[in-house]
Amino acid sequence: MKRKIFGISILIVLGIIHPDNANSQQNENTNWNQFRGSERNGLALNASIKDTLFEGSYQMQWKKDIGSAFSEITVSGNKIYTMLSEKIDSVSGFEFVAAFDAKTGNEIWRSQVDSIFIDVDGWGNGSRSTPAVDEEFIYSFSALGKLTATTIKDGKNIWQVDFVKEFGSTRPRWGYSTSPLLVDDILIMEVGGTDSHAFAAFNKKTGEVKWTKANGNAHYSSPVLANIEGQNQIIFANGGFIYSYNSKGDTLWTYKTPVRSAMSMPVVIEQNKIFVSTAAAGFIILEINDNKPKEFLRGSTMKADYSSCVYYKGNIYGFHIAALQCISAETGEKKWTKRGFGKGSLIIVDNKLMVLSDTGKLIQIKATSDSYTEQGSFQAIKGKSWTAPSFANGKLYVRNLTEMACYVL
Amino acid sequence: MNKKLVQIITLLVFICSPFLLIAQNADEIIAKHIAAHGGAEKWDKLESVKINGQFTGFSEVKDFFSVKTSSGSYYSEYYLGQHKLIEGFDGKEGWTIDPWQEILFPRKINLAEKNVLMQKAEFFTPFYKYNERGNKVEYVGKENIDGIDAFVLKLTRVNGKTETWYLNSETYLEYKCESDWIDFARGLPSESYFDDFRTIDGLVIPFYIERTFWQRNRVTVIENIELNPEINKSIFEFPKSKEIEKLEFMSGEWDVKVDVWSGRRGDWFNVGSTSSKIDFEAVNRLRENISYEVTFPMTKILNYTYSLSTGRYKLAVFNDLYSEIDIFEGDFNNGELILDNTNVNFGSTAKEDSQKTQYTISKADDGSFSIVEKVSTDDGKSWNPAEKFTYTQKIK
Repeated sequence: MKRKIFGISILIVLGIIHPDNANSQQNENTNWNQFRGSERNGLALNASIKDTLFEGSYQMQWKKDIGSAFSEITVSGNKIYTMLSEKIDSVSGFEFVAAFDAKTGNEIWRSQVDSIFIDVDGWGNGSRSTPAVDEEFIYSFSALGKLTATTIKDGKNIWQVDFVKEFGSTRPRWGYSTSPLLVDDILIMEVGGTDSHAFAAFNKKTGEVKWTKANGNAHYSSPVLANIEGQNQIIFANGGFIYSYNSKGDTLWTYKTPVRSAMSMPVVIEQNKIFVSTAAAGFIILEINDNKPKEFLRGSTMKADYSSCVYYKGNIYGFHIAALQCISAETGEKKWTKRGFGKGSLIIVDNKLMVLSDTGKLIQIKATSDSYTEQGSFQAIKGKSWTAPSFANGKLYVRNLTEMACYVL
Repeated sequence: MNKKLVQIITLLVFICSPFLLIAQNADEIIAKHIAAHGGAEKWDKLESVKINGQFTGFSEVKDFFSVKTSSGSYYSEYYLGQHKLIEGFDGKEGWTIDPWQEILFPRKINLAEKNVLMQKAEFFTPFYKYNERGNKVEYVGKENIDGIDAFVLKLTRVNGKTETWYLNSETYLEYKCESDWIDFARGLPSESYFDDFRTIDGLVIPFYIERTFWQRNRVTVIENIELNPEINKSIFEFPKSKEIEKLEFMSGEWDVKVDVWSGRRGDWFNVGSTSSKIDFEAVNRLRENISYEVTFPMTKILNYTYSLSTGRYKLAVFNDLYSEIDIFEGDFNNGELILDNTNVNFGSTAKEDSQKTQYTISKADDGSFSIVEKVSTDDGKSWNPAEKFTYTQKIK
């Protein structure tokens, strides 16, 4: 043990490993400002991290206790943001959106946005949704259905919309879970309200409703933005349909899907394809040409539950129930499978899968369809971990219901 | 033997030979499978195992332990998410305490659960002496699964349920099994994966078992296995609920003296005797059947139970003289159970009855007990004695 510590010390002295310079290679991505990253695809490709992950190759920058929530950590500039909840007794408490110093993890401000959601099934209390950050505001969505805009400077709530009261939305069993989508000057939400209020666009500055669309209950799959044939398409998977709208609220296409009630977010595949997967029915890939969707591929080799998949270089990586799996986006063929990470989550940094097991172990894997090639792992946080990692500025952020941590890779 | 007979025999052998070959293949594979697990000789000496480890359900890793015996008995305590579950199986019948069903006392398992406990009760492989236990095996063929060449065997258990097993063709150890499992007591198909095989006293055992069904994932990681420990077989038996167990003193066969209250004399006087049998018909129910005569002959069937929702004892009395069912509610304190029907509703409306009844069941030090029936005409403000039953033990 002493020899090992001595060895690491020598490496630090020689500058081969330095806590503040652990990633000597340049990392260019600076934001992870909404659910699954700035492009909502779970990718941080313009970053560079080492090909191995071992004790000494990474540096824990900080680790902090945090109140219960499933929200991812979003990053903008030198601050990170997430949601948390705190109970004041066994049946009540509050949900907060909060800002932290990215370097120290110290809390800068917190703003109460709703009462606490207490999960009757015991999976975990508090928010499920990941807040989105722009230059001025952070937009959070509580598990009880309140959308709130808060100033990022000082945590002051500016406007709030209650989906239950204002749109007649019914809270899903496990709480409102979808994450706000930033598109230009509007904020896109799955509302689940009555009278054509399944989806809505809000003025980011005022909370004013810009448009509403479709009929459908609030579910668990967040919307994604795709650029298909040169136009922005806002994609929702809700119930038995997949919907596409432009930012003005015009319906571009609707598709009745046999892959119903997705919980994970749709994944955009290259130019004009949309991947939707569920634990029950497997996956479907739609190909869109001239705003006309048609089934490109359907299969059972990827049954994603609540954890969203990533697309990278012709392949889809994700959790097929509880097996980490790589499948071809062209044929659906299973390329490799690896068990032992439970129902984990993943993102891609550089050209590596960064997988967080459902018990808090971080595993680095080469993002290739050739074979499962593990590059190292360590226990990043302890306990049930259902929240996917975030990555910005060379730092990887992880959290669960009790703690969050920052690692320099 | 004439030529025609030879031809028929030859034809029959020809027709049957693929089946003979398949049967031979299945048994050959199983023989190598058992050998890979340490050999039948080793397994023959195994009477019981005690297993400790960690079980992961809903991503929460918690300690578990289980015991199994060669007679197919099984007992386990483990956590599923926030709740602790207990399971017991004596090889034929099983029970569980499963707070997920909002029943905190032991209950009988359903058929889907029984099928799962039969699987859990296997020491490790179901192919050990499978035919002696009435199971059947069919060789299906070879398949490449997750890059592993595997022999595929179809196992049909004595209960008619089938399982598909994939044995690694190099090691002859199990890689995967497809079988029926349960999710919150409902049956559904599952896939199990076996890994981390370790040798314990010559027996080769998978220390890692991962099971998926629907969107669920369960992982069992064994940390310690004790071979042939002493097992207290009473743990497999169907336990009673803790609350109803307090009425154990009423259980048995009894001689019963029947007295009625004489208001004029201000004392009890005997009107006869009878016999009674009281036993636990279910884990949370004590049942008595008693016939006696005061003015008219009557039979009463009494069911005592404990209500988790109210936290009180309940008594349902069927009186065949009046063809009526009455419900009583009460508490057990200091060896005495007192129940009455002053606050018992039938459905949404209170039963219109000007006379209320109270039962006081008192335990005596000599093993006997008494039930005193009192009545009230002022809604329970005052009670007047009516009948008294004194129970003296026939057989313990």
